[in-house]
Amino acid sequence: MIRLSNVSKTYAKSQKKAVDGLSLEIKDGEIFGFLGPNGAGKSTTIKMITGILSPDEGTIEVDGVNLAENSIAAKSRIGFVPDNHETYETLKGIEYLNFIGTMYGVETGALKARISEYAEMFQLSDALPNMISSYSHGMKQKLMVIAALIHDPKVWILDEPLTGLDPQSAFQLKQLMRKHAEQGNTVFFSSHVIDVVEKVCDRIGIINHGQLVAVDTLDNIRKDESVSLESLFLTITADETAK
Amino acid sequence: MKKYFSLVKLLFVQQYRVKPTEGKRKRGGTIAAYVVLGICFLPMLISLAGSMYFLGGLSKGLENVSDIVATLLFVCQGVVLLFGVQTLITNVFSAKDADKLLFLPVNSSAIFAAKLSVAYLNEVITTAVMLIVTLLPFGIGYSAGAGYYLLLIPALLLVPLLPLLLSSIIAIPLSAVITKFGKNGVVKTLMQVLLFALIMGAYLFGMYELGFIGGSSGDADVGSDMASVLLEKLQGIGSAMKYVHSDFTLASAMLGASFGAVALNLLISVAENALLFGLVLALSIPFYRWILSATVEGAGVSRRKKVKSSDLTVKNQGVVRELIFTDIKRVMRDSQMGFQGILSLIMLPIMVVVFYFCFSITSEDGQNIVQMLQGQSLYRGIAPIVFLSYMSLLGMSSNVLGIYPISRENKSIYLVKSLPVSFNKYLLAKVILSTSVMLISDFLMCLLVVVLFGVDWYFGIAMLVVMGALGFGAMCITTLIDLKSPKFGWTNFNQSLKNAKNSWMAMLVGLVVSLIIGAISAVCLVGWYFLNAAWYMLLIMWLLIIGASVGFAAVCYRIMTGSAEKYFNLIEP
Repeated sequence: MIRLSNVSKTYAKSQKKAVDGLSLEIKDGEIFGFLGPNGAGKSTTIKMITGILSPDEGTIEVDGVNLAENSIAAKSRIGFVPDNHETYETLKGIEYLNFIGTMYGVETGALKARISEYAEMFQLSDALPNMISSYSHGMKQKLMVIAALIHDPKVWILDEPLTGLDPQSAFQLKQLMRKHAEQGNTVFFSSHVIDVVEKVCDRIGIINHGQLVAVDTLDNIRKDESVSLESLFLTITADETAK
Repeated sequence: MKKYFSLVKLLFVQQYRVKPTEGKRKRGGTIAAYVVLGICFLPMLISLAGSMYFLGGLSKGLENVSDIVATLLFVCQGVVLLFGVQTLITNVFSAKDADKLLFLPVNSSAIFAAKLSVAYLNEVITTAVMLIVTLLPFGIGYSAGAGYYLLLIPALLLVPLLPLLLSSIIAIPLSAVITKFGKNGVVKTLMQVLLFALIMGAYLFGMYELGFIGGSSGDADVGSDMASVLLEKLQGIGSAMKYVHSDFTLASAMLGASFGAVALNLLISVAENALLFGLVLALSIPFYRWILSATVEGAGVSRRKKVKSSDLTVKNQGVVRELIFTDIKRVMRDSQMGFQGILSLIMLPIMVVVFYFCFSITSEDGQNIVQMLQGQSLYRGIAPIVFLSYMSLLGMSSNVLGIYPISRENKSIYLVKSLPVSFNKYLLAKVILSTSVMLISDFLMCLLVVVLFGVDWYFGIAMLVVMGALGFGAMCITTLIDLKSPKFGWTNFNQSLKNAKNSWMAMLVGLVVSLIIGAISAVCLVGWYFLNAAWYMLLIMWLLIIGASVGFAAVCYRIMTGSAEKYFNLIEP
């Protein structure tokens, strides 16, 4: 479960609120799609949930743990796939996974089993002994996905997770997201690929100018089934921009 | 041509701009730090300029003054070379920006020309500083004619060309090693350091052979007027300057008696420098093309091999240990970080050895300066303090791992912030790593001082304790500064080194600490001298210094831990 209550954030170098009074609750067993135009506040929201940024106002709870009061416990419940793939390029894939496993306190046996399972699934086993700097964009993305799942997190957060993935891996990832949610966990992901959001998510939220402008199931949001999410998204964000 | 100039502008500005958006207040603080630093180093520059002025005065009436000027030009080139090699490696041959530039509608020669021009511009800046503090005051002291000063302008442009050629000769094999061993970062870094040490060793050997360092003092009495000795040395070396003909002709032009002599010598010097530049291009262009293809084609290629189970070994070895070892691997496998890290470890011990050779001038009776000094009663008390001040001054600003602990995370800082690891453990890992590196370097230095300079072993241990405490304290300060204003977004580590004020602050701390050590020891040594070398005065002095340095370390640690987490939380990746 993720709960954001009246969360706001203004960057030190900016006068404008990147996120403005955001309140949101994502339940266990749910896949939540987070949509918004560029610069709407998606990544800022994700960075606050993952503890990378501190909110100026409001509170964030991850699996019932207040992030500000007990950040270590809250962070240990999160698996995070960032959008930029910036990582320790001079480590080998296996070293990176070992590092992440140690940081999250995963026992050696479980770590080994999970690395083996996910590396097989994403066909990355052969590349793990190589330096990450030699990986392609898609391979780095796969490594990030594996690293995020290595400690079996209660909350899985993915920022633009499908970028650079081949069709097989994209399919595997969508299956994994569904499986993870079915196990009673929370999946929160942002994407620009509206088709994927439409097919995978149980609920969606649309953010624009730092404010949540729509949040509900897809059916409730669009009311009329003939309307695509894409046109709905364009209408909502255009209306908000006009205001 | 327009594209070339755009590239030069882009590359030149880029190397000084890592963080484009910086508040006015912050910029003001940085400027203020530079001003303070400038004030601190001003006396050194002024004294150098003063010596040159004095030397110019002494040269009046001497024959072959152009030999002295040629030697000074050569010395300037040595300094330019020292900075030039690094610039050439990082900005030209090892720059990781090939993929950002090669897709542009500009041919690779133009890219190379732009990069080389930027390296040249950097050398021109260093040359300008060197000419201002050496040849300009020398000319004033010598009462040189207007032609001398006018020719300083072409000298500014010509002097960097020889260092550029020498830098290329040094940088090409170094960069080849970097590229060749691209797969194994640690071996690559070690090879690079070894090659650098060999080249610098060869350079020092050359200097020794020329008589710049060490050797015999000849007819001059060691204790006599230093300026006369220096002048004599410069003249002696100057006779060999004919072999550096471009400098010899430029110096002859600067001191030419007639317009014809000036014009002819200048023309020859320009032609010779043009030849040097041609050599630089002939050497560098094919190598640059090779290195480009090796870098671009090698990127993303990973040889398929059967994965053994040993390749996939994992082990949970504890958070702090894992953080330290991951940091070490990252430093050692990054050619620039590894090079800087290892260099900071060995550079100061090497300088102690160089120092020893500089002091091993042999007098006519076959005794060298160190032996002579060891015979003096004052040496026993003063020498450890002199070494301590010198090593503290330099040591505090050379521990790269302690000066940029946060900036070296670069764009991966988000990862650190998202991990479920307490900040204290993260900080502890950083502190342990940089302190360990610093202590190894300190231990080597103290050992060398004891072995080479005959300093008593117990003073060696006391020096190690003081240096360890001072280095730790300085590292706490620089870590805090780095947390407060980290430099992220660099594409090569040296950009971070150039732009951060951390090292300047470390230098300032080193300077202040050296002054404090000097003040404490001066008082005690005076007492020691007047009390007929009473041993307890030395004991009191060392206890005071150790107490002050441990106190300094404790205060710095307290300051760091008091604010570090707050600054860490304020970092917005």
